[in-house]
Amino acid sequence: MIHAVDGVSFEIRDGETLGLVGETGCGKSVTARSFIRLVPTPPGVYAGGQVLFWSSDARREGRGPIDLLTIPKDEMLDIRGDRIAMIFQDPGKALNPALSIRNQIAEVFYQHRSEEILHSLGPWAPRLIRRAARQESSGFERFLLTLPPFRSRAEKLREKVDQLVGHALSEVQIANPRKIMESYPHELSGGMKQRVLIAQALACNPDLLIADEPTTALDVTIQARILELIAELQERLETSVLYISHDLSLVKEICDRVAVMYAGRIVETGTTDEVFSNPKHPYTRGLMAAVPSAAHRRGELASIVGNVPELLDPEPSCRFNTRCPYAVEICRTVDPRTIPVGESQSVACFAYESDDTDVVLPRLEAWVS
Amino acid sequence: MTSLRAANKEREPLTAARSVISLRGVEKYFPVKEGTLQRVVGHVRAVDGVSFDVRPGETVGLVGESGCGKTTLGRCISGLTQVTGGRIYFRLSDADAARLDVIEAIAASERTRDQVRELKRIEENHRIDQLEGKAWKTYRRNCQVVFQDSFSSLNPRQLVKDIVGRPLRVWNEASGEELTERVVSLLESVGLRRQHMYRYPHQFSGGQRQRVSIARALALDPEFIVLDEPTSALDVSVQAQILNLLYDLQRERGLTYLFISHDLGVVRLMSDRIAVMYLGKVAEQGTATELFEDPRHPYTEALLAANPDIKAKESGMKGLHGHVPDPASPPEGCRFHTRCPVVTPVCGWEVDDAVAWLQDHEALAEGLAAVERRTNFDATLVFHTEEAAASAVEAFHKGDVPPVMRSALEEMSTDGRKVSIKFSPVPPVELEDIGGGRLTACILHTSRGLRI
Repeated sequence: MIHAVDGVSFEIRDGETLGLVGETGCGKSVTARSFIRLVPTPPGVYAGGQVLFWSSDARREGRGPIDLLTIPKDEMLDIRGDRIAMIFQDPGKALNPALSIRNQIAEVFYQHRSEEILHSLGPWAPRLIRRAARQESSGFERFLLTLPPFRSRAEKLREKVDQLVGHALSEVQIANPRKIMESYPHELSGGMKQRVLIAQALACNPDLLIADEPTTALDVTIQARILELIAELQERLETSVLYISHDLSLVKEICDRVAVMYAGRIVETGTTDEVFSNPKHPYTRGLMAAVPSAAHRRGELASIVGNVPELLDPEPSCRFNTRCPYAVEICRTVDPRTIPVGESQSVACFAYESDDTDVVLPRLEAWVS
Repeated sequence: MTSLRAANKEREPLTAARSVISLRGVEKYFPVKEGTLQRVVGHVRAVDGVSFDVRPGETVGLVGESGCGKTTLGRCISGLTQVTGGRIYFRLSDADAARLDVIEAIAASERTRDQVRELKRIEENHRIDQLEGKAWKTYRRNCQVVFQDSFSSLNPRQLVKDIVGRPLRVWNEASGEELTERVVSLLESVGLRRQHMYRYPHQFSGGQRQRVSIARALALDPEFIVLDEPTSALDVSVQAQILNLLYDLQRERGLTYLFISHDLGVVRLMSDRIAVMYLGKVAEQGTATELFEDPRHPYTEALLAANPDIKAKESGMKGLHGHVPDPASPPEGCRFHTRCPVVTPVCGWEVDDAVAWLQDHEALAEGLAAVERRTNFDATLVFHTEEAAASAVEAFHKGDVPPVMRSALEEMSTDGRKVSIKFSPVPPVELEDIGGGRLTACILHTSRGLRI
C-alpha cells in the first residue's frame, strides 16, 4: 500500500489563498483531489481522517461543517463544481476536445443551476423542459424539443443558458465571448483555454477553488495575467483558494499562507512572510536555496541530494531523514510531531523539540537568507 | 578522461581565435497546408533571420516564450533539420569570418574568380549544410544535443549501457570490455554508478534520466552541446543538481553550450551571453548581467516583470496585454508592437491590429462583413449595413481605441458600407548594435528611434 497522503492536517480560512508546495510525487495533487473525492476508489482507499467543509450556505443557515469523505455520492455531486471547484494543470487536457466552449461551460449550469434557470423562464415548466434543463433528455426528447409546442420554450432555455455562459466568459476578461463560445478548444491558445477553465470553475461562485498548478503549462507573461485574474476574481467573489504549485517564487507572490508538503506529510505551515523570511524545516530551506537567483554563483546552486522516497508502507520516521543533512538517530525511528514556532508557523522537525530529555536532537544552523 | 580526450583527434586548441558556431541570417519556415490537395497556403516563420556567434568555452542562453522558435533554432544548429535560408558555420576562424563579410557584401555577379574560389573554400570547410565526408563527421561528433523530455529521447527498449555506448559503437571508438569501461566512466562523470548500466530508462527518476542523456551527449567528447530546456521537466532541487553538473562538466571539459530555456532565472545563472527571441527574431542580445540589470527592449522588460522572484522584497508580477500574434502572419514593423506597453505610432500598426480591435467588440464585430486588403497597411472594411460602418468609424474616433493606434491611422474614409483605413507602411525593425556589444531591435533604443 502506498501512503500517498499520510496524516495531513491544515485549514483554509474564508477568503484566503493557501499555497501547497512540494516536489513532484509528494502527494499535493492527491490531497487536493481527496477534497472532492476525485481519487478513484478502488484502487485508492481513504484510510482515515476528515475533510470538513463549511459552506457559505451552511453558515448562513446555522448548520455546522460536513465531512466530505462520508457524505453520500449524490450530495458530493452537488458540491463538486458548485461549492468546490477545481482548475486543472493542463488546460489542453482538461477541456473536452469534442465540445464547443459553450457546451463545455453550459454543463455546469445545467448540472447546478437548472432550478434557477427554469424559474427565470416562468412559473411552470413541462416535464420535458425540466429534463432538458438538467441535461437528462433522451434522443427522442431532444427530437420533441424541435417541434412547435416545445420549440420556443427550448429556445428560451438555450438563450438563457447562453446568456449565463457569456457572462461567465466575460468575467474572465475574454473579449467578445459570443465568438469564443462557438469555438472548440483546439482553436484557442493555452492562455485562453485556461481562462475558459477558470470561467467554468467560477461559474457557480464556489466557496473554495482548488487550483492545481494552473499556470505550469503557460508562458510567464501569460501566467502573470492569469494570476492577476484569479486574484481579482477571488477578491470580488470572496472565494478561498487552495493553490498547488511546485514553484516557490510563485507561491510567495500570490499566497497568504503556505503549507509545505513532503512525502505525503505537511512539514511546515505558516504565513507566507514567516515561511519565506524564516523557513524552519530543513526541506523548506533546501527548496528555497535551490531556486536560482541573481545572488547565486554558477555551479554553486544548493541542491537537496537524493530523491523523494517511495511511500510503500513507510516505517515511523521523519520522511525527510534520507535527504536531510542534519538527520540523527531519532529522525529515523520516530514520527515527528507538529510543533508551533512563531505566531502562526508550525513545523514537524525534531530540531524544535525542547532539549530537556537525554535524546539527541538534530541541530540546524541558523537560516541566512 | 584523458583517454577520451585523446580519442577525439579532430579537436583543435581552444585558444584559436574563432567561433564554434556562427549564424548568419538563419531562417526556417514551415509550410502551412490546406485542403484535400494539401496546397501550401503560407509559411510559419519559426526562425526568421537570426545571427549570432558562439565562442569557445562560453554559454549562450536563448530565452523566449513557447513558439518563439528557440527549439527550432537549436535543431537547425545541431543539424537535425535543414535551414530554409541563411547560413550556419562551424568553427569559423575570425579571419575567415572577416573575409566572408567582405565577399558577401559584394554582389554575386561582381565577385572576382579568386573571391568565388575563397568563398567556396570557406563554405566547403565550415558551412554545415555543405560539409561533406570528414568535415561533416567532425561536425556531427562535436555537436551534441540534450533534449527537454528525457523520457521520449531515450529508447525505452534499450539498456542504459546501449544508450550511452551507442555513439561509441557507431564511431568504432570502442567495443567489448573497453566499451563497458568507457560507459562506466561516462556514467561516473555525470554522477551515476556502474550498477545503473544494466537498467532501462523507466527505472530512473527524471533527474537521473536527464543525467543519462547528458552522458550520451558527452560520449564522443564533443566541443559543443545544445541544451534544449534540460531542466524544465524537473523539480527545483533536482534542477539545481543538473545545473551544477552541467557547469562542472563545462569547466572540466571546456565545453561550449547553447542553453535554451524559458526560465529566466536559470538562463541568467548559466549563461555568459543571452539572446532573447520573440516570434522567430532576436529582440535583444547582450551579456547576462547587462541584459538583466539594464534591459533595452520592452519585451525583455516584460519578461523580467512577469517572472516571479523569490528574493525580491516587493511583490508584483506584471503580465502582457494585447493580442498574441499568429506566427504564420507575423506583425509588420516591430513584431512585438501588438503587446508592447510602450508602443509608439511608428512601430508598425497595420490593418490586422484594427481588425483585431473590432473583433474584441461584440457589437462592432457582428457588423463586419469582409476585409478587402490591398496591403497589410491599407484595406477596406466592408460592413453589413451603413449604420454598422458609421458606428465603427465613430468608435474609432471616440471609443477606447488605443490612442497610439488612432494617431498611427493615416486615413479613414467612409463610403456607404465601406470604410477604408490606411496606416503608413513601416519596414521591419532589425537588430541593431547599440554599442558595448549589445544589440536590440527596439526603435526606442536604436538610431532609427533617435531620428523620430
